[in-house]
Amino acid sequence: MTVPTVVYTDERLPNGLRLLVSEDHLVPVVAVNLWYNVGSKHEEAGKTGFAHLFEHVMFQGSRHVAKTEHFALVQAAGGSLNGSTWLDRTNYFETVPSHHLELALWLEADRMGTLLDALSQENLDNQRAVVKNEKRSSYDNQPYGSWQEKLFGHLFPEGHPYHHPAIGSMEDLDAASLQDVAAFFRTYYAPNNAVLSIVGDVDRDQARAWVERYFGVLPANPAIPAFHPDPLPLTLGGERRETVPDRVPLPRIYAGYRAPTVGDRRLYALEIAAQVLAGGKGSRLHRRLVRDAQIAQDVALFGLGFVSGPSVFVGWATVRPEAAVEAVEAGFFDELERISREPISADELARAKALIETDELGGLQRVGERADRLSMYATLLDDPGEINHQLERYLAVTAEDVRAACADVLVPANRVVLTYIPAETGTEGTEAA
Amino acid sequence: MNALDPVEAALSVRPVSGTPRPFTFPAAERDRLSGGLELVVIHLPGRPLVSASLYLPNGAVDEPAEQGGATVLAARALTEGTLRRDAVALTEAAERLGASLRSEAGWDATVVGVDVPVERLGPALALLAEMVREPAFPEREVERLRDQRLNDLLQAKADPARRAEEAFIETIYAAGTPYARLAGGRRETVESLAAAILRQAYSRAGDPDRCALVIGGDLGGLDVVALVEPLFGDLTWAAPGAAQAGPPPMIEDGLDRTRVRLVHRPGAVQSELRVGHLGLPRRTPDYHAVSVMAMILGGLFNSRLNAKLREEKGYTYGAGAGFDFRRYAGPFSARAAVNTDATVPALTDLLAELHRIRDAAPVEAEMRAARDYLVGVFPLRFETPGPIVASLGGLVTFGLPPDELDRYRPAIDAVTAADVLAAAQAHLRLERLAVVVVGDADAVGADLERAGIGDVEIVRDQDAPAPVD
Repeated sequence: MTVPTVVYTDERLPNGLRLLVSEDHLVPVVAVNLWYNVGSKHEEAGKTGFAHLFEHVMFQGSRHVAKTEHFALVQAAGGSLNGSTWLDRTNYFETVPSHHLELALWLEADRMGTLLDALSQENLDNQRAVVKNEKRSSYDNQPYGSWQEKLFGHLFPEGHPYHHPAIGSMEDLDAASLQDVAAFFRTYYAPNNAVLSIVGDVDRDQARAWVERYFGVLPANPAIPAFHPDPLPLTLGGERRETVPDRVPLPRIYAGYRAPTVGDRRLYALEIAAQVLAGGKGSRLHRRLVRDAQIAQDVALFGLGFVSGPSVFVGWATVRPEAAVEAVEAGFFDELERISREPISADELARAKALIETDELGGLQRVGERADRLSMYATLLDDPGEINHQLERYLAVTAEDVRAACADVLVPANRVVLTYIPAETGTEGTEAA
Repeated sequence: MNALDPVEAALSVRPVSGTPRPFTFPAAERDRLSGGLELVVIHLPGRPLVSASLYLPNGAVDEPAEQGGATVLAARALTEGTLRRDAVALTEAAERLGASLRSEAGWDATVVGVDVPVERLGPALALLAEMVREPAFPEREVERLRDQRLNDLLQAKADPARRAEEAFIETIYAAGTPYARLAGGRRETVESLAAAILRQAYSRAGDPDRCALVIGGDLGGLDVVALVEPLFGDLTWAAPGAAQAGPPPMIEDGLDRTRVRLVHRPGAVQSELRVGHLGLPRRTPDYHAVSVMAMILGGLFNSRLNAKLREEKGYTYGAGAGFDFRRYAGPFSARAAVNTDATVPALTDLLAELHRIRDAAPVEAEMRAARDYLVGVFPLRFETPGPIVASLGGLVTFGLPPDELDRYRPAIDAVTAADVLAAAQAHLRLERLAVVVVGDADAVGADLERAGIGDVEIVRDQDAPAPVD
């Protein structure tokens, strides 16, 4: 089986905008994907949640586009669209029938160039209220909804750019002002801080001509601040634990680890470990805790890759009502210890790789995914060509690589353990460093 | 703006889109295997990851009330082992092929499938056949699945959206009728499920015409019929003239007046809202007009509900509405999660929008936005094999003609504003509504009473988990 190579062009406009174009004429659709090299890690103290709030403002109109018209025009074109904010970046994307590509490019250029012309207190207040409701829906009113904030709070020290959640705090959201929006826009929303990927049913020269026309006139910001947080050790240097009473019927254990930074090959070995440990019915944790001992309702393990500090490797196990939390925790960590000690079997390695191969094939089918990955690798690693090397990096991993990466990362002194317990039987939260 | 400003010069004129490249729904070849099973094959050049799904005509709606949840659990149990190998061996065999086996039942059908690179399609289909034809329903695994479902129901009580769904369907459908329960069943019936009942649910005879094997992907050079005939040729579901299931299930309205049910979630920072009533089956004559109406009311980002509740008022992260089209009349619901303070104002706005779309035809701009979206999004929806297979499978499940997807875009384009008004007036029934609020009764109860929407009944869950400061 071969995963097709993504063929693309890679160039920079004079104003610094990086443009990646990849033609694929199978279906008459085209994806536009714009990554800005700004995320919640760039936020200052007292201004958490700002990058994400700003992303919402980007849909409130620009000089030539009215409030909500961005959505209206793309949807009327039969397109899908959204934006998202994460610790390392903010992105905006739409997939449209291919004859609407010029419209999509114009819309993105208009807001990159002229957002502030449409900015109003009313729109900012409206989106502040929307984002506060997003926080309530996605976190505050959700069972276990605080896990990410708590885990990252422990894994990264106060003041580190990854310490606070991208959604921010209610107090900081309340404090965001029009001046903050304007300053943020002028600093980070410049062509030389962005990567634009266009993938699908497009003529490369035509795409370039439109990009030059609409984006080429936008001025660069020569003074984008450098971002170099103090390096953190790749391990935590001592276990941290917190018990969290919550509105949950079943207890759940979360384990979080500092892991190597994106670009480090050990991350591929850790992904394979996650598959062997918790990827489906054949996995070790599922068999042991869910199927055989029947003490866990479900298990999960996955990595979250970051570039300005350690990545994060996270797992959880939900405890069945009649089971002891301690028994689940013991079994969970025992398997993580075992995989750090003994190499996985050849069959486990082969199965994990076969599934990853299928996932790559499936993901790369869609033009939207290809555009997103091109922008991602260009933004985070300065190398969009990584898109064509992922599979070989997974396939190169050996059983010993998996063991060694796990031995580096999955150690007690490098973990945060959160124990969610049903509130009525719990006491106040306890915290121990 | 300075006329010589280069930014203004480049951006002031909105581009006019070009000519669409034609897109037709991929052609399907249809065959019948020797035992009568319909085979639908869609050759999609350049798509080496093949999606294959077998649509079986037993859905949760077909099961007796006292076995609620049996069909969903039976489908799940198919991946728990066959007569030849246990669950782990079955999973490992699939993983060696880079394949994931799936088996899920819903209200309308059981769908058993696999996604696999085309080179390994043969062995993956053989595993699929083994699952479908020789399921073991091992007692121990069935009991574990049952317990996991019971635990999942516990979890659902603490999830505001899931709690709201459950209260909503219990309100809009008459007690004891299928759609009043969850497809996966309630605690009372799930507790009694055992391997024998699952076996029975799985083999329940349905309409053989709603049974098909649908395979899509880059199948160039493959003789798919020759591949599947030895595996599925004599599958018994498909036997022509097979016994039909009993009489159609009772789908009965549970509302004789507007009922407001407030499910108490102490200290909740939001109220989860569901408003609606019994809706429509998929095979409804004015399906396309209803679809356009639902987009305008609560489907598009700039739908009336989202425009009002989110973009004007900021009450919610998102508001929407729509019909859940099933073989029989599924629910119509409008929905939003709003900050607690906004509960009554948001409900008032939501109800006003339901009335407004019944009171006057939409303006032309709204009609154009909805039609253009539904027509234009067609190529995006069908970019990859999975959704193509699922859509063709849906036709089989619903008993719709093979050309339904070809007729879709012209039918949407032909919908007029008068059709939308007629659909709203015919199918939105505002004098007998269910209004479900999952929120803090202490904070919103009195206001809700005063709002005069209907009698307010407060529901207090016995086993609801406690709030946290």
